[in-house]
Amino acid sequence: MSTLPKQNALGFFEIRLESIGGLGANLAGKMLAETGAIELGLNAANFSSYGSEKKGTPVKTFVRFCDPEVEIRDHSPIEEPHVVAVFHEALYKTVNVVSGLPLDGVVLINTTRDFDEVRADLKLEYGTIALVDAMGIAVEEKTKVNTSMLGALFRICDFLDPEAMRAVIRRTFEKKYPHLVEPNLRTFDRGYNEVKFKTYEAPEGTAVKPFKRAQSMLGYRTQLPGGLIAAQANSILKDLSGSRAGMIPVYDADTCISCAACDNVCPDYCFVWEPAEDKRGRVQQFLRGIDYQYCKGCLKCIDACPTDALKSTREEVGYAEQHRVAQVFI
Amino acid sequence: MAISENELTKALPAEQVTYFESGNEMAATAAAQINYHIMGYFPITPSTEVAQYLDQMKARGQHDIQLIAADGEHGSAGICYGAALAGARVVNATSSQGFLYMLEQLPTQSGTRFPMVLNLVTRAVSGPLDIRGDHSDLYYALNTGWVILTASTPQAVYDMNIIALKVAEHSKVRLPVIVAYDGFFTSHQKRKVQYFKDNETVRNFVGPNPNPGYPNVSDPAHPVTIGAHMGGDDLLNNHYQLSEALYAAEEVYEEVVREYALLSGREYKVLDLYRMEDAEVAVFLLNSAAESAKDTVDALRAKGIKAGLIRPNIIRPFPAEQLREALKHVKALLVGERADSYGAEGGNLTHEIRSALQVDPENETVVLSRVFGLGGKDFYADDAQAFFQLAIEAAELGYAAKPFDYHGYYPGEEKNTLQPVMEPPHGDAFKTGLIQVTQNEETGLLKVKLPPLRQLTAKPHRLAPGHGACPGCGALSALELFFKGIEGDMVVLFQTGCAYVVTASYPYSSHKQTFVHNLFQNGAATVAGMVDAFYELKRRGEIEVADDLTFVMVSGDGGMDIGMGATVGAALRNHKMIILEYDNEGYMNTGSQLSYSTPIGHMTSTSGVGKAQKGKKGHHKDTAQILAACNIPYVFTAAESNPQDLLQKAAKAQWYANNVGTAYGKILCACPLNWKSPDDNGTELVKAAVDSCFFPLYEIEQGITSLTYNPELKNKRIPVTDWLKGMGKTKHLLGDAELLQDFEAEIERRWTRLKLRSENALL
Repeated sequence: MSTLPKQNALGFFEIRLESIGGLGANLAGKMLAETGAIELGLNAANFSSYGSEKKGTPVKTFVRFCDPEVEIRDHSPIEEPHVVAVFHEALYKTVNVVSGLPLDGVVLINTTRDFDEVRADLKLEYGTIALVDAMGIAVEEKTKVNTSMLGALFRICDFLDPEAMRAVIRRTFEKKYPHLVEPNLRTFDRGYNEVKFKTYEAPEGTAVKPFKRAQSMLGYRTQLPGGLIAAQANSILKDLSGSRAGMIPVYDADTCISCAACDNVCPDYCFVWEPAEDKRGRVQQFLRGIDYQYCKGCLKCIDACPTDALKSTREEVGYAEQHRVAQVFI
Repeated sequence: MAISENELTKALPAEQVTYFESGNEMAATAAAQINYHIMGYFPITPSTEVAQYLDQMKARGQHDIQLIAADGEHGSAGICYGAALAGARVVNATSSQGFLYMLEQLPTQSGTRFPMVLNLVTRAVSGPLDIRGDHSDLYYALNTGWVILTASTPQAVYDMNIIALKVAEHSKVRLPVIVAYDGFFTSHQKRKVQYFKDNETVRNFVGPNPNPGYPNVSDPAHPVTIGAHMGGDDLLNNHYQLSEALYAAEEVYEEVVREYALLSGREYKVLDLYRMEDAEVAVFLLNSAAESAKDTVDALRAKGIKAGLIRPNIIRPFPAEQLREALKHVKALLVGERADSYGAEGGNLTHEIRSALQVDPENETVVLSRVFGLGGKDFYADDAQAFFQLAIEAAELGYAAKPFDYHGYYPGEEKNTLQPVMEPPHGDAFKTGLIQVTQNEETGLLKVKLPPLRQLTAKPHRLAPGHGACPGCGALSALELFFKGIEGDMVVLFQTGCAYVVTASYPYSSHKQTFVHNLFQNGAATVAGMVDAFYELKRRGEIEVADDLTFVMVSGDGGMDIGMGATVGAALRNHKMIILEYDNEGYMNTGSQLSYSTPIGHMTSTSGVGKAQKGKKGHHKDTAQILAACNIPYVFTAAESNPQDLLQKAAKAQWYANNVGTAYGKILCACPLNWKSPDDNGTELVKAAVDSCFFPLYEIEQGITSLTYNPELKNKRIPVTDWLKGMGKTKHLLGDAELLQDFEAEIERRWTRLKLRSENALL
């Protein structure tokens, strides 16, 4: 049986997965918890931050482990996790992913960048950072990013036996998709083996990142009665760039014929138009570019484009900010 | 009729297996092991998974329950009632609005005394809509005459489902039973759970179906009349019988749980009394919050405070006597309730506890009441501590400083008040003058002149970006494309569904013009009221607004199932409005359950594919033809793959809605997530659906059918397999010649008939 290295006041070892819908964090959390509970003799609970969220929006998945004789009665979200796993780097623009991390906590990040860059972005002064290119592994093995993240998580949770997880992977795929067993085992193993660690010692007197329980923006004095919203279209204040899972459309004005085929199919209303005179001096609408703040990277526009004006590329950090053409809302 | 109770099994502990599952999985597992005859269900979060798990098990051949996808919860309750009348064993699951929609049926079922089991996965009741858990739906159940059991953990969900059936069918009870458990907290949280290894263990415990021994409709040799109407004398006597049977359920429950404890090792006493032996202060809570608060009781006990907790396992009948006993020496009790009885100085259970204590002249317990955790607002240890602190203060004072209050509300900060982000465009801003609709004087039919679509990019979008739809959503692109064809101001109502949820998530709105949501069986009626009120206000000169304000009711295909009645009603009355359906072939908002528009063989979360089942049974609903039969002036179908065609139809729909009456349109939209297709492929997929003649583009204007795009004439017709191969939900169809042929034949039949209609104005 597994022995938990640390426990909080209620006897729990706690893990929080920070992800966007569609990357499989929910399933990863379930498999992690189930392996601990069924294969390794621990008690466990697993749940997610449910709402009406769709694919691409931020989600949290929680795993609690404890000794088998401990009863899990708490239902509240995990605020001070021993381990945080971040499935998607773009999240830390909008979510405080390391909130509540204790001094000896571990934060696992799916990234291709190095320790100091990641640490600077997280504004983390202490704790252990674990890095793995989970997306890269998944792309190479043609599998899912959650499996490589699980590999890294098993390395971090060294009280769990990775062999048990391998058995679960085999069982999950061998009946229906036998050809996926080996790539998934390889993905898991690569996550397990390729994760790198660096510990930052907390200077004397460093305060733990306090967990801030989110409170909604409005209260009973500031809500309009009946839940009405008078600030129409205020969703333009949102930044949806975190919904992109890696790819981004790139616009080339030179080959664009401003036919609006892209605009007709874009679910996120990202195309920015301007009137200008055409060669014959007539005022016409011209496509000026893409407002990446709202682009979720679906790439429908590229399929729709009859020329080469729209192409897709793997998104690099900073590209969208540099090339964004902001919409002017009237 | 002589009924012998199923023999009390000399229950011995039975072999159990350990799994890691959620409350919904456990409800489904119990139902499968019991092997009910019928489940008539309708999707609603968070209870839908019960039907989904049962469908998955059915596809694998693990049970024989007939899962009937109803047209709405009212229909699902009717199906369940009908099945119970036939003497079948019946199960169902619902939540929130679904429960309220079926509410009308519930007293009928208890009043006529037909048992069944309903899982109520508790969730906040609208409005405003909130999909997460509280007990406001459960409180509507209190007066239905159903037995109500409460299950506080996934394990209890399983156990209570087995116990419930035995209580329901008991000769002293013969009443339907609700098993209530917390939405998400219990329904979706995965825990270590045990269930009986052998289905026979469960079937032996519940015993053979006793219902054929009672009057039912399945026995022509003993015909009966069910549901005769009564006068007051008779009704009072009937209800007295019911009341007696409901009280008898407590004793029967105690008997059944004792027996069950021998079998399972788990006991569910009427009251779960946690450290109550010598408690001076206590908190009363239902379900999951009560489990959480036990940790707080332990923490207070460690500090020497005599704290305890009461959690009932059954609330109908209300365990008044046992509560009186438990509270004899308690100085102060705080009743925490996840629902209010507005204006009554406390939720329902507060008053039931107070009235239980009132008949004990010796009792001096101070009872406080707090409404908390509404809409799934989390309940933390510090909330439980606050409750105990209030009880401690009241115990010290000997009275409650504030007997009733809400817990967890806050005023908000002035600086966070929502500010306008733009001057909302209206009127001329949406009038390009580029779309011209003219009526042919001879035929009366419309002609639309459209500019190149490039020019329409000058018109502001009706919807704002920043909404939360999935990447590649086909509904949000198609709706905006349709709105491009509307000139001038609009008022839209979106029925419940993806497009609503992602564009109006408080405190954000993605609507530039006025937007309303209403529950998705009633949108058409609501807009009918709106539009007629608008014209009446105008007629009386009370408002001055241009005539071309266009009212649009937007619905998914699911909303056209549950909302068909209201839609047909509005169409028959011919209100001046557009009814626009975005059809993505399923209830995608709740996780891809089948709708009647799901084509045959297509895989959804309630039409799984396995050795015992091949996706959806039966062909897709032809909603456009149903609306055509209402003889409204304009009906059309459209897809974003043919944008000019779509915009022309939008312009015609607007003209008819402004000048004549109801226009209806159906737009086929891709759902990459649930069609299991790439995010970038939606437009191509709907194009393939159009070119294969699965989804012909046509209109019926003043009763005359025209094909607005004929792929055959353009030499573009493709086999339907070219469409199906692009989606994960239909890949299995490619290898199933028989099913495929059935589908192709139906497509051809509908297409041929449509062509004939387009060739003859009288058809």
